[in-house]
Amino acid sequence: MSSASISEGDPGHVPPLPQEAYVRMTLVLRLGLGLSLAILGGGIVAYLLMNPGQSSSSVLANNPILSYLTLPGLASGLGSGSVSAVLTLGLIVLVATPIVRVVSGLYYFQKVGERAMTAITLAVLILLLLGLLVIGPHVR
Amino acid sequence: MVRLWGTVDLALFVVLLVLVAIAAGLVGSLTGLGGGVVVIPILAIFFGASIPIAIGTGFVTILATSSATGAAYVRDRLSDIRIGMFLEIATVPGALIGATATVLITHANLDAALFVALGVVLFAIIPGSLARRNIELPPPMPQDARSRHLGLTGEYHDPALNTDVSYQAARTSPAIGVMFGAGMVSGMFGIGGGVFKVLALERFLNLPMKVATATSNFMIGVTAAAGAGVMLAAGYVNPIVAAPVAIGTAFGAFLGSRLLPGLRNRTVRLLFLPVIAALAIEMILRGLGLP
Repeated sequence: MSSASISEGDPGHVPPLPQEAYVRMTLVLRLGLGLSLAILGGGIVAYLLMNPGQSSSSVLANNPILSYLTLPGLASGLGSGSVSAVLTLGLIVLVATPIVRVVSGLYYFQKVGERAMTAITLAVLILLLLGLLVIGPHVR
Repeated sequence: MVRLWGTVDLALFVVLLVLVAIAAGLVGSLTGLGGGVVVIPILAIFFGASIPIAIGTGFVTILATSSATGAAYVRDRLSDIRIGMFLEIATVPGALIGATATVLITHANLDAALFVALGVVLFAIIPGSLARRNIELPPPMPQDARSRHLGLTGEYHDPALNTDVSYQAARTSPAIGVMFGAGMVSGMFGIGGGVFKVLALERFLNLPMKVATATSNFMIGVTAAAGAGVMLAAGYVNPIVAAPVAIGTAFGAFLGSRLLPGLRNRTVRLLFLPVIAALAIEMILRGLGLP
């Protein structure tokens, strides 16, 4: 087997991330997607069974999750068995999956002692949470 | 053009959404365009969804495609996590600004302007998606100081070439600028991010084609999470629409990545780009209030 390089000069001495980091991130993606699809699939079947005869235009005109977009609202909705709250949870898991992947990146950059990449990854994580928890609710 | 809104029973609507999303996931994973280019115009044109709801659903297709196809790329170390994470520092703020702009434009009742802008962006990604270099391994370029400091280098095994390929990122400054713009377009419209990201990764960072594609796929999930976070919290992701779209897109993306490896990427693009062009024209006409 041959090797090819498209590098020029000394490539530097930063060690690569351990294979474990790649394995864990793959696991995060698979689990996150699988879990969100299971919740969304179960939720949409239950919604159809409980709302026969509804039309597409009525669904498009009313977003049923608005009251579940706060933590107390979501907890209360899940506690009372609301299908819309279950669907909201599925969406949150779907959105959170790449964010959890960023968290695992942060863990491994910190673990191998890469200060610059740790700081960059932490900044990305803070920005993501800012969008979800501050900017979105503020512009609603 | 056929318009179906207001006439479809919810169960049929959900089935149609799953079918559209399977096609979107298939096309998205085979072309790298992302499923939003199919789902957003179809929701807006055929089902009468409002533009922010269509865009919010577009983010769901990106999240599903990125997670469904990204696992294999990450496992095979084709996605460069270090380069992807470094560039997210530009795409994520871009996406936050873009998604916020979309919500504010909607509040100002300027949906028609969003229709036209979406159509224009759809057109803009056509030459971008055709302009890919199709060069497996680009000629060497010197690594810049930032790339050296952050260790933006990598290596992967290419079974097709039967060789181990090592690479290093060049010209990080212009790449950051392009990535901010890509994030903004993606956050604002739910489409286009992948095309512009791959172009920046190939043209500026000088990455091999496979690494650029896989790293873009890694990045679009995080960028979409930024835009989706804003749109979800602002109430513009409708779960009755998003759930079947997420399921269909993930299935289509899985099919695209596993069952059709022999289908040539360029062939799919050439077959599909006229459809995007037609949808873009319809979006612009709709925005301008023309029949």
